[in-house]
Parts: sequence; structure tokens; C-alpha cells
Amino acid sequence: MSFLVLDSIKKSFGPTQVVKDFHMAIEKGEFISFLGPSGCGKTTILRMIAGFETPSDGTITINGRNQSGLKTSQRNIGMVFQAYALFPNMNVFDNVAFGLKVAGMAKAEIATRVTEMLKLIGLEHLAERYPYQMSGGQQQRVALARALAPKPQVLLLDEPLSALDAKIRVSLREEIRQIQRQLGITTVFVTHDQEEALSISDRIVVMNAGRADQIGTPSDIYNRPATRFVASFVGTLNIIDAVVADPAANTIRIGENVITLREPIAALKAGDKVSVALRPEAGSLSESAKGDTALTGTVVSSHFLGSVVRTKFEVGGNQISFDMFNAPDKVLPQPGETVTLRFAAGDLLLIRD
Amino acid sequence: MKMTKFFAWLAIAIGIIYFFVPLLGTFEFSLRMRRGEYSFDSYGSVFSDIQFQQTFGFSVLMAIFTIVFGMLLVVPTAYWVRLRLPQMRPVMEFITLMPLVIPAIVIVFGYLRLYNSSSYIPFTGSIFGTNVLLVMSYITLSLPYMYRSVDTAMRTIDVRTLTEAAEILGAKWPTILFKCIFPNVMSGVLSGAFITFAIVIGEFTMASLLNRPAFGPYLQLVGANKAYEPSALAIIAFAMTWLSMGLIQLVSRFSKLTPSKA
Repeated sequence: MSFLVLDSIKKSFGPTQVVKDFHMAIEKGEFISFLGPSGCGKTTILRMIAGFETPSDGTITINGRNQSGLKTSQRNIGMVFQAYALFPNMNVFDNVAFGLKVAGMAKAEIATRVTEMLKLIGLEHLAERYPYQMSGGQQQRVALARALAPKPQVLLLDEPLSALDAKIRVSLREEIRQIQRQLGITTVFVTHDQEEALSISDRIVVMNAGRADQIGTPSDIYNRPATRFVASFVGTLNIIDAVVADPAANTIRIGENVITLREPIAALKAGDKVSVALRPEAGSLSESAKGDTALTGTVVSSHFLGSVVRTKFEVGGNQISFDMFNAPDKVLPQPGETVTLRFAAGDLLLIRD
Repeated sequence: MKMTKFFAWLAIAIGIIYFFVPLLGTFEFSLRMRRGEYSFDSYGSVFSDIQFQQTFGFSVLMAIFTIVFGMLLVVPTAYWVRLRLPQMRPVMEFITLMPLVIPAIVIVFGYLRLYNSSSYIPFTGSIFGTNVLLVMSYITLSLPYMYRSVDTAMRTIDVRTLTEAAEILGAKWPTILFKCIFPNVMSGVLSGAFITFAIVIGEFTMASLLNRPAFGPYLQLVGANKAYEPSALAIIAFAMTWLSMGLIQLVSRFSKLTPSKA
């Protein structure tokens, strides 16, 4: 049996249902990220695991034990908040020791454990500092140490990097992942930042309007988005309107181009409208390429973005972006020019709504 | 520009004259007890008066009880309203402002009707009961100041997140309240305490109508019967109020040095 199981979880606030029949099984030691826009229900699920909210329906099981009826203080869960939530009246040592003191641990044991935790986050020299004497990144490290000190069975991270600047965010997320691997603690991370989720997770849950649109590895989520929402939310993606040409041959028509899909579309009829997705980085320009894995259209614009050049061209009423690596001698495609984009058959994905 | 500055200084000068001339006059008069020369005789007379010591001691005791029980009422209430019942904030604001609107004499007459010796709750039937009633009436009087100072201090910390952080670390309500919340609103608690002290020490109506030997009625008694001592007492009362205000400033400055944002 999985370590953390969310079974048929529903949550309503008045007439608004914010989590709709959510299922998920998380294995011990896994790092799961809940990714989605504001109001999609990801934080509500996290708060239900913590016990701050009670599910309207469904059960949450941790290590085989149903958590219904257990108070937050009885669940042995660690949590790191977006706003750090360090106790301003306590110094770093006392903050980290708080959970251990509450648990009634002996003084000597507390001192050993706190020192161990401060070493883990590399802040043992700041034990006497107060929260207001530290930077945001340091405070969040202390919050992590405080959450881990009582050896929780699950660690919850509620957008812990959102309040930090970009550079600290990257280094701290790597640190969090390294500590999580080192301790082997089951972790649920909530974020609206796709890069964060993609870079540190074992699996990602993409949430949309209270449901999980897709649960998969970062690679699955990025390369094989299951729905139009996932495709548009994760990374930059071209969503292209097409028409089924020959269902038996798996071909679709985009403007004048007939493309063969890898996925079978036999269930559809000729003339049915479908959506397909293509990542901007998936294709490359080719003068010679023609046939069922190439799109020919007219350039609308080219933008220099530093390491890449993003060009938009129009095919059958769709504006499609594609990226090329920048090089000093690169000649940018000019508006009005006809270009052909070549891609691998597997790059064009059929999108369900 | 120069004219503006002139008028600004003029306003300040008028303010200073308005506030300080009567005070200086009172102080000067309080020093005239000995004929022909200035002395602190009136202060000596006040301090050596056994009634002064008794009434002042009584009022200090009442002030301490008012602060302790008032804070035990106000801090958890303000905390709970912030955490769980934010929709009740306007109601709380209204209730805590009532003592400013209803005159003390109306409140005390209400008390006397409700809690007299022939009522179901005869607080005034014994000295202890009357003292309890006096403390309760002082808590009512100081409610606007206590609640506001505590509520303002709570606004500077993220009460909800701190509570949740403590809760998930296994803490129960008393620990959360007294170890995580109370120390972080201490500046507000102390400000409220000092202002309450200043109010209670000078309060006359409640103590007089409940017939308790407090400092306020003593001030009135001395004022009606003696010449120089009332001036000395007025200066002493001012000094105590200013000391309380100074301590409030000190406490708020101290809290500014240790920002308590979560």
C-alpha cells in the first residue's frame, strides 16, 4: 500500500466546490509537486493533509492510518509556509527546538537534534540570531529545519520559495531536494512555478479547477501533456487547430499541409476538428523538407530573446512559434518570407480538451 | 516660506502657553505653602498623609487587577476574533467603543441597580464583592484602549500562520497563546497596561459611587478641604500620567527595534 493516499477527496466552501473527487497515491520518499494556477485547489489539498481543513468527503491515509478525526497537532507532519512563519520572539535555536520541546524531549536530546538540523541547513553559526536579523533565504532554511526537527512522516511545502528572489529561489530549491533525498522523507510541494516543479519533482500533479488534469513525471508532463490545459500551462506550446484528413491513415490537415500523427485517430471522422500541440523548440527550419512531418507557412515576426530567436509564422490561420539557438552569423527569417518547419512525427501531439 | 514658518512657531507657542502656563502656575502655587519662600512642604504633607498612602495603594492594587484580568479577557478575545471570527471585528469595535460613549455615571448606576445587595448577584453586599465590581467597571472603562492596543499589535504579526506553524509542530492552545502569540503582542499589552494604569489611578466616578477608598475620591476630598495640597496632588497625578505615557513610548520604540513580522 502507498504511504500517503488521498482517496476521493472533495472539499467545498459554501456552494463552491474547490476540490472535486481527487485521488492520488504517493509512495514513501517520493517528492510530489502540485502545480497549477491560483484557485485550482492545490493549497486546499495540502491544508487537508495538514489537518487545517477537513475534507467534505473522502479519506486521507498516511502510513496506513486514516487521518480523519486527528487534529493537526496529532498528525506528525512538518510544514514550511510561504511567509516563513518563524516565531519572532524566539531565536533560531528556539525556533528549531519548538516542536521538540512541545513533544517533551529531554534538553540534551533537543540540543543534539537542533545542532544536527542546523548543520543540515548550514546555519549552525546563526543559532543565536532572531528572525528579523536574517535574510529571507536564511529564514526559510530555518523554517525547513524546524519542520524537519521532530522527524515528521510527511513534509509539506506551501510555496516556500515564492517570497524569495530569483537567485536564492534556484539555490534553495536544489538544497530542499538534496535534503529531501538525504532524509528520504515523503514530500508534497505546492507551487505555481512550472520550472520549480519540473526541476525537483519525482512526479507532478497538474491541477485545474479542483481536479488533477494529469499526474506524471516531469518529462511526461512536459513532453506528453494529456490535456489542452496542461499543454498550455506547462512550458510554451503552440496549440494548432487542424482538421482530420484520413482517420485510417492518421492524417490531419493544417492549412495546405497534410501531417501524419503517431497517435491513432481512427475513432474520428474525416472533417472533424482536432487540436494538436507542438513545442517551439521541437522543430527546425529546413528548405528541403516536405511531406508529412513539415509545416510550410509565412513568417509574421522574429524576436531576439538572447540565447534563442523566436519566430512566428502563419499556417492555415494558426500562428506557430518556433525557437532557434542564437549564433552571431544567424540570419533571421524576415516577415513575409516563406519557411518550412521540420519536426519529428512524435513531436506533434493530439490534445484532448 | 518665512511667513509659514512664523505661523507654525506661533501655533506651537500658543499651544505651549495654553498647556504649560496653568501647569507652571499650579506647580508654583504648590511650592508656596511656607510663607515668604518656596518649599516642598505641600508635597511632604501629601506624602505623609496616611490617607494618601492608603488610597494610592488601593488604586494601584485595583489597577494591577484591572490590567491582569483585562488582558486575560482582551488578548484571547482579540486573538480569536482575528483567527476565527474576522466577520465579528466590526461588532467588537462597536462593543469596545461603548464605554467612550456611555458616561461612567450611567454605567455605575446600571451596576448599582443590577448588582445591589438585594439583587440576584449582590456584588455590593460585601467589601470584596464591591472591589470585584470596581475592577470590572475599570476593565469596562479601559476596554477601548486595551482592545485597540492589543489588536494593533496583533495586526503586525501574521496570527493565522504563526498559529498554524505552532499547531503543526504539535502545540496545543495554551502553548500557542502564551508562547507564540502573547510574547509577540507584548508591546501592545504593555501600552494598554500603562494607559489603563493612568486611567484607574485618576478615576473618580466609579470609586466614589461604589464608596471605595480610591485615589480619585481622595483627590476630590483634599481639593475641597485644603489649599496647597491639591496643587501638589495635581502635579503628582500629572507626573504619573506622563510616566505612563513615557513608558508607552519606550515600549513601542523597543518593539520597533525588534520587528515582529512573520
